[in-house]
Amino acid sequence: MTARGPAPADGRPWPWLVPAVLVLAAFYAVPVADVLRLAFSDATLVRPPERWTTAALSALLADPALPAVLRTTILFTAVNVIALQVFGLLIALTLVRGEARGLRGMTAFRTLVLAAWVVPGIANGLIWQMLFDEAPYGTLNSLLGLAGFGPVAWLSDPEMALVSAVIANLWQGTAFSMIVFYAARKGIDPVLYEVAALDGASPWRTFRSVTLPLLRTAVAVNTVLVTVQTLNTFDSILALTGGGPGRATEVLALFTFNTVFYNLDLAGGSVLALMLFVVAMAMAVLVHGWLGRAR
Amino acid sequence: MKRLTLAALLAATPAVAQDLVTRDRVGLPDAPNVMTFRLTPYDLYSADAATAEHFAGLFTEFIRARPDWRIETQLQTGDIGPEQARLLQQSQAGRGPDCAMVDSSQLALFRDMGVLQPMNMVFSQDEVADLFPYVREAVTNEAGDVLAWWWFTDLRVLYRDTSVVPEAPATWEEAQAAARAAADAGREGLLFNAGRWEGTAFDWLANFWAQGGRLVDDAGAPVFGAGENRAAFLAAIAYYRDLVESGAAPARVTSITNYDAFNAAAAAGSAAMFVGGNWQYGQLRETLPEAQFANWAVSELPGPTADQRATGTGGWAIAALSEDPAKRALCGEMAKEIYAGPGNAYQGLLPTSAALYDEYDAYDGPEFDLFAEALRNGVARPGAAIYPEISNQIQILLGDVLSGSAEPEAALDAAFEAAKAAHARQ
Repeated sequence: MTARGPAPADGRPWPWLVPAVLVLAAFYAVPVADVLRLAFSDATLVRPPERWTTAALSALLADPALPAVLRTTILFTAVNVIALQVFGLLIALTLVRGEARGLRGMTAFRTLVLAAWVVPGIANGLIWQMLFDEAPYGTLNSLLGLAGFGPVAWLSDPEMALVSAVIANLWQGTAFSMIVFYAARKGIDPVLYEVAALDGASPWRTFRSVTLPLLRTAVAVNTVLVTVQTLNTFDSILALTGGGPGRATEVLALFTFNTVFYNLDLAGGSVLALMLFVVAMAMAVLVHGWLGRAR
Repeated sequence: MKRLTLAALLAATPAVAQDLVTRDRVGLPDAPNVMTFRLTPYDLYSADAATAEHFAGLFTEFIRARPDWRIETQLQTGDIGPEQARLLQQSQAGRGPDCAMVDSSQLALFRDMGVLQPMNMVFSQDEVADLFPYVREAVTNEAGDVLAWWWFTDLRVLYRDTSVVPEAPATWEEAQAAARAAADAGREGLLFNAGRWEGTAFDWLANFWAQGGRLVDDAGAPVFGAGENRAAFLAAIAYYRDLVESGAAPARVTSITNYDAFNAAAAAGSAAMFVGGNWQYGQLRETLPEAQFANWAVSELPGPTADQRATGTGGWAIAALSEDPAKRALCGEMAKEIYAGPGNAYQGLLPTSAALYDEYDAYDGPEFDLFAEALRNGVARPGAAIYPEISNQIQILLGDVLSGSAEPEAALDAAFEAAKAAHARQ
């Protein structure tokens, strides 16, 4: 057996890193820098920036709509992130268990869950808008009526509308969490489960002491990814409720969209985009730090 | 010689003719002159196959007469606000199309930004003079240049099932009473847009305008929350709120974000009345069984009194954004020869020139007499840059008030302050 020889990058990594750094800079850093530039300008959608100013930031902080939008965003994101993890994990574990037992139809089940994931956000919103239709002939309310329940004010009641938006997002987003957890679970050495079975561990104890600890990294990474995805969600809400009734379902990403395209306020929209960026980065740094401590 | 060759090629075979209209082009792929055209998805690329086929025929005929031209088509989505904002931004940066459809409410903004190019070579003074006054004012500048061609207009009317509501309500009070009676009979009394989209603000504004209310002053600054405008605004909100609170209108109106919902309710026989667009008359005629359609009638929108009526008028214009005279001419000719005449007649859309109503048999129906009558009370949305934000605030306000989340006075104060702050930043 011979020792490994020097790799091309040993000692002089920069020539190998430069292409990747340039690509990242061109496609990620430059747009972010441009948003930063616009945020501290007086740019509108119909007028290029003419001077540096913090007026957009001041106007945003003084906007009475912002607290309500932030509250809605936090609630929408928190509920989604927790539920996406729980449902994703449940489906992933069900799949693995079903495959281990040789159950038929597991591939079809996995495909079915993934099908929702490939539906564009706008289409997702439109599909659920039809299902939640509160007309006397609306799909879900008609089904509830057959069972002796309802009708439910899915989209016209401000609180229920947010619940409906969460349901639509969960339907679409669960598949992503399922993939992450499915891959992580498949990576756990089966010997650990054989040992647990020999020791007479119950399914719950096995889950708590073997599966969950070994999925910790996957949970952390998935938390960051689904948080960022959920924070950026606006297309499905735009199609489902448009942010209404009132501002009941207007999350930060949709508020940003409205600020730019209805108010024509490019500087204000850039400030909001920066806010989203900062929140997402903070989440990533927090989880990275937590992972580092856990190692 | 080259033109002759192209013309011969265009006429040569049916297969070539079929290829003249594709998903992104009209004309031969190698035609030497190119004009880019951004259009809405309601005609040439309509989801309705018959409409798309009819317009493909009109475009084929048009391009056969101009064999050295190719029109590269760009489709815009139905999300009007963002699409028009993007179009304006691209045009200012010199990256816009040569010719485009511009929403009538955005015309003034496009004009003020200086991106519209004259198409005087296509339209005669008589044709301009024949336009409805509010249309003529919108498409011409002080020098008399034709900066766009507003090729159809539309308006909002009250639809009613005459088997439930025999007489057309003329006032808000009558509308509420009729809707309440229909609700007691198990129908949805009066449906209207109240979800978060432009149609909500536009339809509701008729109630504000009927009282003489003004959204902005001559300088384009918001004034809807002060003085007499404030009183008119609150009265119009109270009308909608009372409809919902009394059960005359279902609470679900705050989730209605398209006009198709009304067609569906009419087809299902669940609605007694709804506030819709004039174009829905033709849709109902195509959708409903003949006997059921016979029950439906249109009338002017009710007002606070029978003498105070208004209706929002919209529609689309075609404008040249290129400085090239040949492209400006082609853009104008397309608006005139395809859209303003035969295209409108086929779709039953309302022309903006009085002469066209006499020219086409399509406008012989009695409903067009009513539409023409209602157009006398037509009000266009203000051509101010702040209008989209005012509309946004009205949508929020109506959603909050009708769902019981806010009181009208507080909601109006919030909307007015938000619009003023937005205007200050523009």
